[in-house]
Amino acid sequence: MNRKHIGNYDYLLIPMILIMGIVIGWPLIQTVIYSFTDAQLLEIQPAQSVGLQNFAKAFQNKGFLNSLRVSGVFAFFVVFSEVLLGTSVALLLNEPLKGVKIVRGLLILPWAVPTIVNAMMWRLIYNPEYGALNSLLYQWGFIEKYVSWLGSANTALGSIIIADVWKNFSLVAMTVLASLQSLPEQQIEAAKIDGANSWQCFFTITLPHILPAIEVATVMRIIEAIKVFDIIQVMTKGGPANKTRSGSIFIYQEAFTNSRIGSGSAYAIIMVALISILIIIYLKIVNRKER
Amino acid sequence: MRKPLYVRILQYLAMVLLVIFIISPFLWLVIMSVSTSADLTTKPLRWIPSQIDFSSFKELLTMGDNSRGELFVSALRNSLTTALSAVSISLLVTVPAAWLLSRYSGKKNMILGIAIFTFMLPPIAYCIPMYKTLVRFKLMDNSFSLAIVYCSMILPFCVWLLKSNVDDIPFELEEACIIDGAGLWDRLVRIVLPLLMPALATVAIMALIQAWDEYFYAMLFTSSKNAMTLPVVIANLASGRQSRYNLIAAAGVLASAPPVIIGMICQKALIRGLVAGGVKE
Repeated sequence: MNRKHIGNYDYLLIPMILIMGIVIGWPLIQTVIYSFTDAQLLEIQPAQSVGLQNFAKAFQNKGFLNSLRVSGVFAFFVVFSEVLLGTSVALLLNEPLKGVKIVRGLLILPWAVPTIVNAMMWRLIYNPEYGALNSLLYQWGFIEKYVSWLGSANTALGSIIIADVWKNFSLVAMTVLASLQSLPEQQIEAAKIDGANSWQCFFTITLPHILPAIEVATVMRIIEAIKVFDIIQVMTKGGPANKTRSGSIFIYQEAFTNSRIGSGSAYAIIMVALISILIIIYLKIVNRKER
Repeated sequence: MRKPLYVRILQYLAMVLLVIFIISPFLWLVIMSVSTSADLTTKPLRWIPSQIDFSSFKELLTMGDNSRGELFVSALRNSLTTALSAVSISLLVTVPAAWLLSRYSGKKNMILGIAIFTFMLPPIAYCIPMYKTLVRFKLMDNSFSLAIVYCSMILPFCVWLLKSNVDDIPFELEEACIIDGAGLWDRLVRIVLPLLMPALATVAIMALIQAWDEYFYAMLFTSSKNAMTLPVVIANLASGRQSRYNLIAAAGVLASAPPVIIGMICQKALIRGLVAGGVKE
């Protein structure tokens, strides 16, 4: 018998399970229940069950499908850039350069700036009348007249993506850097003595060593990026012409602006299902590593 | 092995670009916050302020009835109370739970799995019933109910990180204590808690930063100076008709100061914590 199993202390879990039940379990069940009704935010008439109608409509609703596409496009570009930039930065800051420690320290700055402050900061930078970006590009002669970065359909999503990359590439960089620093130097030296060049060393030793860290950071960031709400809400509220209306923004508007919590819940459940697939992939990767 | 000179030069060049990329947006925010309105509304911009002007900070931090300062200072206080309450409640229930999940693993691991899973789901999946419940029980616009709502994200996060930290404490230490006839309380308080302290501090700081950062629930569930948090006040400032950019920037600088300063001080511990979130060495 395992000596760990002396005594039964299961009751230690009760407070935690109780709170989780109240703030996680119960709301989730309620959302599922709402998704089969035509419930309104302001109860004018009692909610009626509508079966699977909300779900059937969801897949025909162009607005909803478009919002999922926006979330997907946003997540793809944001995560792709963050992983590429973050990994490159980590490799650079792993080199024995003068002042590299200070720059490593700076990486914490974008991570620590609150999401809303980041959104507001970039909103000011992109300001169509007095924004720093317009002023800079104008002074350098790149643009003839000021551009409404967040106000035109072509540039809005891209502008938000840059703002998000600024804040979140640092997390990827710090994760990969930590992984790089746990790489035993003797391994690389041994390979070099055996005659391997820098590129061979990188692809056979360094990259395999940091790949798991990159994997975890990537999936983690995809999950976060698909859920995006805050930065878009502050920068464009989903406009112009719904070009930046992500899944979360769409569902929020459906439930709280249009007061339709029945269909809003159904959309939310569909999103939960999609994200669940990603979470399962994430958990698989983490478990594989622990084994 | 030495790198060729041109590689080194390119590396230094890349590092300079990186520093500019990281610093310039935030530096500009700081400059805006101490500029006069006139300097920020000329074309082209005045990059270096004609005079350093702290009046935005003063306005935000001066209390007066129904003034902007009153709203901002209340928000500062609300952010702090909400974050501290949410993190205290979460740690209080997750420390014993994390210990149990670590020491008596097995079927109970499912609970941890559920916690991690629900932590990653979008808040949009919880917020509608939460809203209805808070309205029904007249708990809207209340810091304490917001703190309870925050437990839905803080608590799973804490139990997840704490459990993996308890795993690192050797069980033999507790065994010695059991042989001496110590009860559960002694084991937890005399052995586990002191060894867990550094990790606990890191988890607490990370959880506080998360709560400080939170916008979605706060925007939905608060509406006045009673409970509005900083992100809500800042978002309202930024998206409103407010054209005093220096004031908006000053609010941003003040809201960033605590996490940035803590981040700089506790950098090593934080990075270890961030990495432990997914990548176990």
